Amino acid sequence: MWRSVNNNKIQVKALLLAISLLIIYAFTLPVKHITIYLAGDSTMADKEIKAYPETGWGMPFRVFFDSTVTVVNKAKNGRSTKSFIAEGLWKSITDNLKEGDYVLIQFGHNDEVPTKATYTPEADFKTNLVEFISETRERKATPILITPVARRKFNTGGDIEDTHAVYAQLVRDVAAKNNVPLIDLDKKSMDMLQKLGPEKSKLYFNYLQPGENPNYPDGKSDDTHFSELGARKIAELVLAEIRNVQPDLATRILKSKNLEIK
Amino acid sequence: MKVPKILLVASFLLLGFIPPPKHINIYMIGDSTMCLYGNDQRPVTGWGMPFADYFDNSVTIKNMAKGGRSTRTFVGENRWQPIVDSLHEGDYVLIQFGHNDESNAPKYAERYTPVEDYKKYLIKFITESRGKNAFPVLITPVTRRNFDKDGKIKETHLEYSNAVREIGASYKIPVIDLDEKSRDLVGKLGPETSKLIYMGLDTLEHPNYPVGRSDNTHFNEYGARLMAELVLNEIKNQHLPLADRIVKGQNTSTVNPQVK
Repeated sequence: MWRSVNNNKIQVKALLLAISLLIIYAFTLPVKHITIYLAGDSTMADKEIKAYPETGWGMPFRVFFDSTVTVVNKAKNGRSTKSFIAEGLWKSITDNLKEGDYVLIQFGHNDEVPTKATYTPEADFKTNLVEFISETRERKATPILITPVARRKFNTGGDIEDTHAVYAQLVRDVAAKNNVPLIDLDKKSMDMLQKLGPEKSKLYFNYLQPGENPNYPDGKSDDTHFSELGARKIAELVLAEIRNVQPDLATRILKSKNLEIK
Repeated sequence: MKVPKILLVASFLLLGFIPPPKHINIYMIGDSTMCLYGNDQRPVTGWGMPFADYFDNSVTIKNMAKGGRSTRTFVGENRWQPIVDSLHEGDYVLIQFGHNDESNAPKYAERYTPVEDYKKYLIKFITESRGKNAFPVLITPVTRRNFDKDGKIKETHLEYSNAVREIGASYKIPVIDLDEKSRDLVGKLGPETSKLIYMGLDTLEHPNYPVGRSDNTHFNEYGARLMAELVLNEIKNQHLPLADRIVKGQNTSTVNPQVK
């Protein structure tokens, strides 16, 4: 009798101890706070209100992560790798980069056009990407390369055309050679637009009728820059690829329950 | 006719002294199709959210709409009286209810408001706004995505939209017929394309809705903006004084000045 009571007491004590240890364990390993920097062009950038509804995919991307992550969008309209470096935008990232941070790098739209002031010849484009990679790694942060997101360009047969063929391939080559995680957004977004087709895909881009939106009284037919819907769909593609190529970052994606909408 | 120089000079001087437009508030009262949402519920978007992006800085938008509310429960929860108390002369009150008032299924008994009561509450909003020298604007409930088998969009708010039109006419209040305007727009998009502007999501598409969602009532960020555009354009078409405070855009798209 006495022994049995004592055994029970011991069992309760052991259980309490186990629970306490679990609680302590839960609090002794807080997940380190990290920052995801976005480096890129207008397709990724935050927009001024006067340019709405044009939306960069970095804007909806911001809400995908839990409270251990801050997303800092350094992407800027019109920038190539060359002008991003020349204007000190890249340095504004490396100056703050900490161990464990990530840098998502998406350029090409402004690098690949020879008539633009931002034109970056192929060899320079590769050199700049390699510089981004090595400077990120020097700070024990992780670079992720992203091929330039597709334009809405369909041929007469209704097939989407790859307008970034050369520069997207350069990104793939640099990623493979330097063993960097790659998100092939050019391909993924082309697939997505192909599924939608020429007409529906207009809803993903900044297409506005004259008089429809106060910011664009003359209307707009933009096959490069996204609507709020297109930007979010692109951000979702990037997120899906993060689950594939960077599982440790994927652990910080929000774990939500479907909230009720009343 | 030659205008005397002195008159020209005088009018220029006067122009310089025209006071800037008085600052006003736009109060928005309504339901889930109009209200604010936090980051944890994106991409669902009330049309009041993008609506607020298109006014100059003489306007502050106070979006007081709340999901699930009918006219009756909005008043019953004391959401209306504080607005009346803070209304100033020249403020606007944009009123869009109906979705919850008309829901007569037993599980929505707590929000259901018979159409006669609905009218009484609309009249209350109107008279109490006017009592503070504010401008009420009635808005018919925005459309649902509901197509018949021939692909024609259905009117689901008829009785309640008619009530709004009737009260608007008899009290000489501007009515923005969002039900009709949005039904035209969604109808033109058709049964398939219109899915893109409502809150449908695939499984795992968006972290906020891991199991996905199908929804023919609530708008995503794109649909909400389309609805906001309809309301903005009706404010202009009806020449409401508020139209002067809508931004006059410069077609500013994204072109880097360096890139020529």
